[in-house]
Amino acid sequence: MPPLEVVLQQAFNGLMLGVMYALVAVGFTLFFGVLDVIHFSHGDIFMLGAFTGLSLTFLWVAVGLGSPAVALPLTFLGAILATGLIGVLTGRGCVKPLAKAPPLMTLLATLSLGLVIREAVLIFYPRGADPKPFPALLPQGLFEVGGVVIRYENLIILAIGGAAMVLVDLIIKRTRIGASIRAVAQDAEAAQMMGVDLDRTVDFTFFLGAGLAAVAGILNGLYYSEIHFIMGIMAGVIGFSAAAVGGLGNVYGAILGGFLFGVLQTLAAAFIPRGSEFRDVVAFAVVMIFMVLKPTGILGEKPIERV
Amino acid sequence: MTQVLAVWAVELVLFALVVAALLAERPLALGATIGGIAALAVIARTSARLWAWVTAAFRAHRAAALVGAAVLALALPFFLRASPYWTFVATLALVYVTIGQGLNLQIGTTGVINLAGAAFAGLGGYTVGLLTVGLGVTPWLAFLIGPLVAVVVGALLFVPILKVRGHYLALVTIAFGFIFNILMNNLEFTGGPQGIKNIPTLRLFGYAFTTAPELFGMKLPYHANFYFAALAMAALVTWLTWRLYNSWTGLTLNTVRDDEIAAKCSGVSVARYKLLAFSIGNFSIGLGGAFYAVMVGFVSPPDFDFGYSLVMVSIIILGGLDSIPGIVLGASLLIPLPERFRFLHEYRLLLYGAAIVLMLLFRPRGLWPATVRRYGLREPAASFAPEGGRR
Repeated sequence: MPPLEVVLQQAFNGLMLGVMYALVAVGFTLFFGVLDVIHFSHGDIFMLGAFTGLSLTFLWVAVGLGSPAVALPLTFLGAILATGLIGVLTGRGCVKPLAKAPPLMTLLATLSLGLVIREAVLIFYPRGADPKPFPALLPQGLFEVGGVVIRYENLIILAIGGAAMVLVDLIIKRTRIGASIRAVAQDAEAAQMMGVDLDRTVDFTFFLGAGLAAVAGILNGLYYSEIHFIMGIMAGVIGFSAAAVGGLGNVYGAILGGFLFGVLQTLAAAFIPRGSEFRDVVAFAVVMIFMVLKPTGILGEKPIERV
Repeated sequence: MTQVLAVWAVELVLFALVVAALLAERPLALGATIGGIAALAVIARTSARLWAWVTAAFRAHRAAALVGAAVLALALPFFLRASPYWTFVATLALVYVTIGQGLNLQIGTTGVINLAGAAFAGLGGYTVGLLTVGLGVTPWLAFLIGPLVAVVVGALLFVPILKVRGHYLALVTIAFGFIFNILMNNLEFTGGPQGIKNIPTLRLFGYAFTTAPELFGMKLPYHANFYFAALAMAALVTWLTWRLYNSWTGLTLNTVRDDEIAAKCSGVSVARYKLLAFSIGNFSIGLGGAFYAVMVGFVSPPDFDFGYSLVMVSIIILGGLDSIPGIVLGASLLIPLPERFRFLHEYRLLLYGAAIVLMLLFRPRGLWPATVRRYGLREPAASFAPEGGRR
């Protein structure tokens, strides 16, 4: 049994991972809500968001906006816009036309689309095969509380992630477009009869989900100070797992699932011998057990069998 | 008789085009091949009467068509002597036919989504490696135990599989695939990232499969023995799947896929049939993996990662879900094509992904869609026959 500080330290690290997973998972759950599909290239959209953010940081330096206080918000804004638009394109081109097809078709189509995005970054980004260092835009430094080391940059990452989640919650709960997202998620046909523009709602949902993935991607770059073109595969699988454990279609479930997955991974790494190698095995095994006990997730609806 | 000859002629032309497409390197030969394929496609698209006549001939003389196809398949290595690598690719395609039939029984026929095909193939392959290299078991015995291990592990996984549906089911199998790969990468006894090397090859009466055979005075490519063995394996598995599909069990499996509640109400034990299909499917997939291990003599984690599960699912969807001939077509196209386009280097995977997306958007039922089951009717029932045109 490791000492308490180690456990707390790992739990804090888990929280950091959890923020990023939760942001990706919210995207999965939003797409599932409006179209009943799993958008599997979402992990690669996350990766694309990180690369867009990285390119933008170079752009800001080149045009003389190098100071972090200016560059950081601009990077986030630009990456959200660019990635969000690509998200809309993927939604229109690949996901929505197949929304009525059997789940397997959308699954394969979006997995293949993810392959296309991944390969495109590999080929067209300069020296895309290498891991890319991500500039440290956040203030460095650390302090200690009860043996737990906390870095300023990590606190800011948590704050940005938390702010993004609150913002999404506000958009969904308080705005008109949020109301139409909720309406479409409940019943797309009835929503259309009430005058909800389905295409616009779907487009906005994809924009929102991809934008969140971009935020997660940049946070990931800031946290690890490095991004790589294959990081989207694992992020996608984990994000989907988190969304499913929380209950597909439920935003709070996705956030909960994301944090659960992150904390589980880091605790497994701390407690189990050679845990850092087997942490994903533990996390996925727990996901499978969860699926047996709660086949529709923690906050998911109970399935009603209709004949 | 003219019909039989026509069937054989069509098969011969297709065979010649396939060989030419694989081997043509010089501009003239390449141009002629592309021209031939294009001409054939144009004829098939424009001349509806000819197409109808040919398909009718194939339908009327199925036995002759199968014999012709078998002869040509056996003859393929003789024509690929110029570039021995293609015999290996053809063998690989046959391994994927074996795997595809198993996966199609699960996904296409029964509706049990399995996105961990590579993991089950890996279970077969790794079992062969561990038994032969680690414990000194004879390769033939290990080759038979491998698929059984895939079946047993699949049965353990069945508890969560029965509980969950649709997307959640996809997640459970994906999670299993990742767990398998991480374990193989990090466990000591599986050799970690290096995998297992020097797996002994199969021998028949002291004759090692790795020796290049000489038949009719011609020296065949290095992998020709494996090609013939894989051909036998793929043909056997396809035939058995075909028999199963056309039995009452096959019909029941379709019922389970289409409407679980209706199946339950008709007294079908959904759990039992799903387990049956899942186990038979895993046997085929494990068999393919075990064959791969003895053919290549080497297994490692990257040989069985998620990307290969994706390739397997692509084969059955592009070929046509629930369509047994479609699986053969899908594997014969999807395995050699990326190899043929090796000259595109890094763009290969990009185009591969894009091609699959486009296929799904514009031809979602596959290249050779499954047909409506017909019982006792020699001709399709009037209500099923499409209006006019091709029958």
